[in-house]
Amino acid sequence: MLRQTAISCLVAALVLPAGARTRPHYGGTLHVEVEGDPWQRSSGLARSLVLDGLTAMSPDGTAQPALAVDWKSENGNHRWQFRLRPGVHFQDGSLLNSAAVVASLTDICGAGCPWTAIRAIGSSVIFTSDSPLANLPELLAGDDYRIALAGAGNPVTAPVGTGPFQFTAFSNGILTLAANENCWQGRPFLDAIEIRTNRSIQYQWLDLSVGRADLVEVPAEQLRQAHDQRLTVVAASSVSLLALAVSDSGALANPNLRAAIALAIDRGALSNVIFQKQGEITASLLPAEVTGYGFLLPAERDLNKAHELRGGVAPPLLTFAAEGGPAMQLAAQRIALNLRDAGFNVQVVASGASQHVDLTLRRVALESIQPQPALESILRAAGLAIQVSESTPEGLYKIERQILDAHTLIPLLYLPRAWAVGGRARDLRLSLEGTPQLANVSLSDVQPEAAP
Amino acid sequence: MKPTSGFHRVAHFAILLLSLSASIGLAANDASSPWEKPAAALAEQIAAILGPAQAQLIIRNNSQIPTNEIPVIRRLLEQDLKARSIQASGAESANIIRVTLSENLRERLWIAEIIEGNETRLAMVRVEPASLQQQASISGVTLRKQAVFTTLQPVIAALQTADNLVVIEPEEIAIFAHSPDGWKEQTRVGIGQKRPLPRDPRAVVYPAPNGQGFEAWVAGMSCSGSPQPSADWTIHCRESDDPWFLTPPQSTQNGVSADMNIQVTPLRAFYNSARDYFTGVVTPSMGADLPPFYTAVLLPRSDGGGLLLNGIDGKLMLATGGALKAVSGARDWGSDFVLLSSGCGAGTQIVASGSGEATADSLRAYDLPALEAIPASAPLTMDGTVSALWSAPDDKSIFAVVRKPAAAGQNDSYEVDRVTANCN
Repeated sequence: MLRQTAISCLVAALVLPAGARTRPHYGGTLHVEVEGDPWQRSSGLARSLVLDGLTAMSPDGTAQPALAVDWKSENGNHRWQFRLRPGVHFQDGSLLNSAAVVASLTDICGAGCPWTAIRAIGSSVIFTSDSPLANLPELLAGDDYRIALAGAGNPVTAPVGTGPFQFTAFSNGILTLAANENCWQGRPFLDAIEIRTNRSIQYQWLDLSVGRADLVEVPAEQLRQAHDQRLTVVAASSVSLLALAVSDSGALANPNLRAAIALAIDRGALSNVIFQKQGEITASLLPAEVTGYGFLLPAERDLNKAHELRGGVAPPLLTFAAEGGPAMQLAAQRIALNLRDAGFNVQVVASGASQHVDLTLRRVALESIQPQPALESILRAAGLAIQVSESTPEGLYKIERQILDAHTLIPLLYLPRAWAVGGRARDLRLSLEGTPQLANVSLSDVQPEAAP
Repeated sequence: MKPTSGFHRVAHFAILLLSLSASIGLAANDASSPWEKPAAALAEQIAAILGPAQAQLIIRNNSQIPTNEIPVIRRLLEQDLKARSIQASGAESANIIRVTLSENLRERLWIAEIIEGNETRLAMVRVEPASLQQQASISGVTLRKQAVFTTLQPVIAALQTADNLVVIEPEEIAIFAHSPDGWKEQTRVGIGQKRPLPRDPRAVVYPAPNGQGFEAWVAGMSCSGSPQPSADWTIHCRESDDPWFLTPPQSTQNGVSADMNIQVTPLRAFYNSARDYFTGVVTPSMGADLPPFYTAVLLPRSDGGGLLLNGIDGKLMLATGGALKAVSGARDWGSDFVLLSSGCGAGTQIVASGSGEATADSLRAYDLPALEAIPASAPLTMDGTVSALWSAPDDKSIFAVVRKPAAAGQNDSYEVDRVTANCN
């Protein structure tokens, strides 16, 4: 049975209960702590606060207007025209125009863009491509395509955008963002956000408990512990896919060996032991809530079949790397154990090693709940440049099946993204991919400021 | 033949009657069943794969379809398969049709796995989701609500006239006209703000003093609209820092409250459009220095009346007789309240939104005989967040904008509700 709780978390509309409620007050500084780099692509908190896209993802997973007010496609989705919102300014006061958008998008992906050409015509941006881009509006809502003013600020650590907050300083590991008074979506309630970077989870929780932080991270594997400690947790479930990327060259060129690897993995143990039962076991690339056909793809371990498929072949030592922190390393160790049970000789190596890696454990963010763009984004993140032209469940199932039958990408678990929040932050919601939407957050203990 | 006893005859007749009515009920159920089309479509696909055959039919429910619907679906599938020469049989059959009633965020999905020996083939059909029904419960001095208008666009204020609905959105004003299918959009114009909007924009809209059209104030702008003989509307907006009306000009007749026979002067207040509150400067002056506030209503009381306001610090105050007095009993109040001339009890009540969890807001009527708010009704559940509240021009009903939380995979919706009171 599809779990209602899972769905409600997936849409990420978790709102914290408030006490006595007035309209939100303007002012105050929110203190956030993160383990990694807030400018990191696809999950970095700072990027979503400073930069906007031409489109944004609506709760139902479709593209909605952002810096572009409307768009239309022509010539069988080979040509797209996006009309820009008038009167939007970058945080340095310069006007957003089509030339600035073209420059930004060209800086982002250069020759590797999904489109063939991009140009500015009046207040519109025109994309053309050799192959049809049916999902371009959804694609442009992704974090990779946020618009920054080219040539202003540091494009990586201090970009200038149009978002509700703007970069003001970074010192002693603390990134300070100030409210953008002229934000086209309205001035945020908060005056500023301070993001303490590279802070361990242990110290984050300590800071939350003594009131030094208002919002801290809760890794999936520590969700249960957070509940035990009575932290107020907001979570978006099924927002990142834990998957094993399998090389189809070298020792694993034989498809039977790759199939044996897929059958040897014990997803249940991975979920129960490493991720403390917080992951949703999956053998499909898209979550079951998104497709409805997840049950057709068996996720059970079948060690006998794995042995049978290996057929006595003893491949040479396989190298195995995990992208991410300690939990990912532990998960890799666990999977390596499973593979050894099936007769594989596996060695876990450090991620980023220069040598060839046969197996890579990675997390891929789910950027949409519309199956077609979601599948495309997963495949893109996994390095598989496959255009998904089907949108029906039957068509998507066929595509997924085709990809999964190659056993180069083995879905394992869908993991939640969670945060613990202090008592003074109000109206916190998470985006689809689990990023806190801080522009709408206000603080309950700020004194209302005088009229500006 | 052994004669049948009277008891047995009655029992047989009762059973016959029950069976008959059950059959009629089931037939009626099946006839109007929403599952007919998907069942037929799935059977069609199964038949195309399997051809004439016998097969064991297994159904499992992975969806929110109620369990008591499953026999109906099974019966429909069996009928549709039989019509296509596929006979549902027992476990001894070599063929298996395993139907899973599944669903995703947008729709129901029925999947048939047709298993012939080692080969499994699939058939899928999509089923439209069923609509939800909601009920509101009411008791005490009873508040009732009636949905007037629902939209996916944010609504910050609205005005219902005899023929039209004026809807104020953050950046546009839309005029809707009655049609057989409900409200139909007639005109839509941009407000044309040059300054960025605040994060939670507010507005007020009142009937124009001449009774034709409307006047509206939104952050930094004021607008007026009037209907034209061609059924079209003329709407003009201009930048303005003029004070907003706190009381609808139409609520008085020649400056006299119809209910209380008390002199009432339309009250206006200056609005901080960047921070979404009233500055505390009102005209004409109330004789006391008012703090910045979110909402205020003019109370027609026998002791001369007063201005009830909630400060941006959350405190409820009554400005009366040149003094500002704290009002108790408002711990459960949110930021929005309005006056309702119900005719019950003292004649008027304050209706306030709740201060509880924002996604399950409620409205409740209160009496304010002195400086303590006393509940006069049970809370009326609003199934969402009350984001705006105002009195109808005649004060005999109130309107609320309720932001309804999104169902899975959908956008939040906005509902304009008319709330009235019945005396017990």
